[in-house]
Amino acid sequence: MSDRATPWLAIARYDAAGRARGSAVATGLLSAFLLLFLAFFPSLATADVDLDAYVEAFPPALREAFGIIAISSIEGFLAVEFYQFAWLLLVGLYLAYLAGGTIAGDVASGRMDLTLSAPVARRDVVIGRFLGLVPLVVLLNVLLPIVAYVGVVAVGETIAVERLLAVHALAVPYHLTCVALGVAVSTLVARPGVAQRVAIGALFALFMFESVVASTEFSAAADVSPTAHYDPSAVLVLGEYDLAGAAILTAAAAVLVALAVVRFRFADLSG
Amino acid sequence: MPAIECRSLSKYYGDVRGIEDVSFAVEDGEVFGFLGPNGAGKTTAIRTLLGFLSPTDGGATLLGRDATDPVESRRARERIGYLPGDPGLDRDRTAAAFLDHQAALRGESSRDRLVERFGLDESRRIGDLSRGNRQKVALVAAFMHDPDLLLLDEPTSGLDPLLQEEFAGLVRERVGDGASVLLSSHVLGEVAALCDRVGVLREGHLVAVESVSDLRSRGGKQVRVRVAEDVERGDFERRGIMNLRVGETVSFTWTGEYDALIDLLSGYTVRDLDVVDAPLEEAFMTFYDGDVPGPVGGERRRSGGTTAAETPSDSTAAPGGDAE
Repeated sequence: MSDRATPWLAIARYDAAGRARGSAVATGLLSAFLLLFLAFFPSLATADVDLDAYVEAFPPALREAFGIIAISSIEGFLAVEFYQFAWLLLVGLYLAYLAGGTIAGDVASGRMDLTLSAPVARRDVVIGRFLGLVPLVVLLNVLLPIVAYVGVVAVGETIAVERLLAVHALAVPYHLTCVALGVAVSTLVARPGVAQRVAIGALFALFMFESVVASTEFSAAADVSPTAHYDPSAVLVLGEYDLAGAAILTAAAAVLVALAVVRFRFADLSG
Repeated sequence: MPAIECRSLSKYYGDVRGIEDVSFAVEDGEVFGFLGPNGAGKTTAIRTLLGFLSPTDGGATLLGRDATDPVESRRARERIGYLPGDPGLDRDRTAAAFLDHQAALRGESSRDRLVERFGLDESRRIGDLSRGNRQKVALVAAFMHDPDLLLLDEPTSGLDPLLQEEFAGLVRERVGDGASVLLSSHVLGEVAALCDRVGVLREGHLVAVESVSDLRSRGGKQVRVRVAEDVERGDFERRGIMNLRVGETVSFTWTGEYDALIDLLSGYTVRDLDVVDAPLEEAFMTFYDGDVPGPVGGERRRSGGTTAAETPSDSTAAPGGDAE
């Protein structure tokens, strides 16, 4: 007994270790992506065009979708070009995709049989697989603000550090919700490839739904989308921190993991 | 207390029958074999016992604990080792990382000894290992916590004959230390070599349970004899002789007493004589059909499904390559 670790912790650790290389690559690519956009900023800022007037002419749904408030400041530029797109959409979808393959993938490959032939509760597997993706979320949101700051300084600009930190701190609950959504889908859909696509599709559909209804009279309905509770533009451009949104997302993540536990508890492992 | 007790266990996948009304017990210290063609329900039975599938009906206990109750089952699994025929291993992790993980979940009192015994290089990526070596990794994981009950599902598929022998030795050692074993196979020879009793599964039903020694004694003897005299086929066509072939040597399956055989041969000048246990397949098929020993591949009384092709037909060859 004494040489056995807590199962959920052991599963999370093993899973995270297996993702180490992929996590490093993802972090590297996103850093490169961020620096590439930052490198464009000086020429954009000095160009003789009124970008804010340009984006003002966009349809409201498009502005809503990409959180476009202002684009000519470094904060607005980063928000639109990087955070709204890469952090909200790209990383969110990527995490949902990874999480979508967890439980379903283990069951389909027979790995789950080996795990559950040990004295491990089904609950521990779900929680462990969820937590296994947390290091990636943390890594991204700890390293990227540093990369962003260095990049901004390198192009000769300044940025409010507090806002930069906040946009990442508030991203954590959002990203965890994306992971939890994927894990939940992974317990509902048997085939891992399908589960991954369903997880991506669900998150993207929610994002689209939010974008469309936000500028209509049914805007309250947009709240069902996780993307409604994380607004990088508001954080970076306006300095508005949606703490209630973060709380909602944290609760949503917990509920989704709980649903996955309930669903997986009595499920047949038919790989 | 039996190591496994299965009471009318049934598992349907929707309308598709996995197993139906399977009842048997594996006594403490016993090696029990599940025998049957692929798709007979062997894997379903084992996975239901382990709680991977919830039974449609019936119940089971493992080491005295209710296998259908998640908490009880988990307690039982502390002392269970499980080896699937085609284990799901993480190909992109090293054997060491995988075994570390398994050890964290179940303990590793015998890990080092097993790794050394099987000559496993733990530093290699599992995906880079041969099929046999991958099976060794799973084997170490199944045995490294010195389990009291082993559930082995087609355990030697993919193992070369040498390793099969090594594996059999390991199973016998665990049994010697008091462990009980449930082993499934579609290869009769494998089951016969290791098991005390065999349960025959067919189309989801446990159609018979027989002790291996009974099965053997029923199978008769394979006799090959070369005599100085010229022999006619008619000389040997008598009760108790099956599968008669008359040529330079005379060969047949003898199902009577030894004395009668000696009487028969005493009429000849015997140049060469070879008497061995008839291949267990014949005994098995005989038994399977509830028929007296008859020529293999001959007409079968049973109408439903048993054909020579479905029934294990090769106990000596390595079973690799035709696993599910």
